[in-house]
Amino acid sequence: MAEGPGAQDAVVIERILDAPVDLIWSMWTASEHFKGWYGPTGASIPVAKMDVRVGGTRLVCMEMETPNGTMQMWFTGEYREVVEPQRLVYTESMCDEHANILSPADMGMPEGHPTTTEIIVELEDLGGRTKMVMTHVGIPEGSPGAAGWTMAFDKLALYVEAQNYEASDRS
Amino acid sequence: MTTVIDEDRLSDTFAALANSTRRAILAHLAEGSATVNELAEPFQMTLPAVSKHIKVLERAGLVTRGHHAQYRPCALDAEPLQQVSTWAEQYRPVWEARFDRMDDYIKQLRPRRKDRR
Repeated sequence: MAEGPGAQDAVVIERILDAPVDLIWSMWTASEHFKGWYGPTGASIPVAKMDVRVGGTRLVCMEMETPNGTMQMWFTGEYREVVEPQRLVYTESMCDEHANILSPADMGMPEGHPTTTEIIVELEDLGGRTKMVMTHVGIPEGSPGAAGWTMAFDKLALYVEAQNYEASDRS
Repeated sequence: MTTVIDEDRLSDTFAALANSTRRAILAHLAEGSATVNELAEPFQMTLPAVSKHIKVLERAGLVTRGHHAQYRPCALDAEPLQQVSTWAEQYRPVWEARFDRMDDYIKQLRPRRKDRR
């Protein structure tokens, strides 16, 4: 388990992608491409507004069919660093469709989920291929506690069910 | 010491949580230990069916059983939940899946891009 506060407050993922660095850059910065991969299977991205310049804002809507009907989740943020095609830094918060920021607790996320997180994308040209390092960081406002569990379970379960559908689709 | 998340254990935990009956059982146990009979009460389900769900939760390490007589009360073990309840660890599989899709999307894109040139 974590050895103290902050120990698990980041996700770092490194991938080598078989595509030129410019194309990978546009995966993150061109709305039409971003919509092509960002949403989970079974979800769509009806809105992806991206004003990709330092201080520019973004607004993304994820729409998902669930057993309880259509679920929409909105995310907003601001571009902090834009160094094409090497480095992109933007913030992300849950919000409503008017980009009013909502607290994660209001949205049923577990305690400890920070209101604002930061996504850092670093790209390296490997000559036709691209090394991509994505870091997602945030500062939790509280430690995980029992109160957030029930809703977290439902979200996790939805995720697992989505994964299972994906697996059965492939077979 | 670095933080290592046991992937298999995490999969067991996710799988155990992917069922509304089992989540309801855990919610019940969050309020205190209970016997299988007590846990079965709210459900229109046979005792063996409820026992099966409890066994899945036991295997995932989410429920422990006492050794008192034949009642063997069930109790919640929160440790595996703490692994999945950090926001960062919840996001990791989301990002991994996204990048798998980015890979697939790029592959689909390639023939189209050639057509345009």
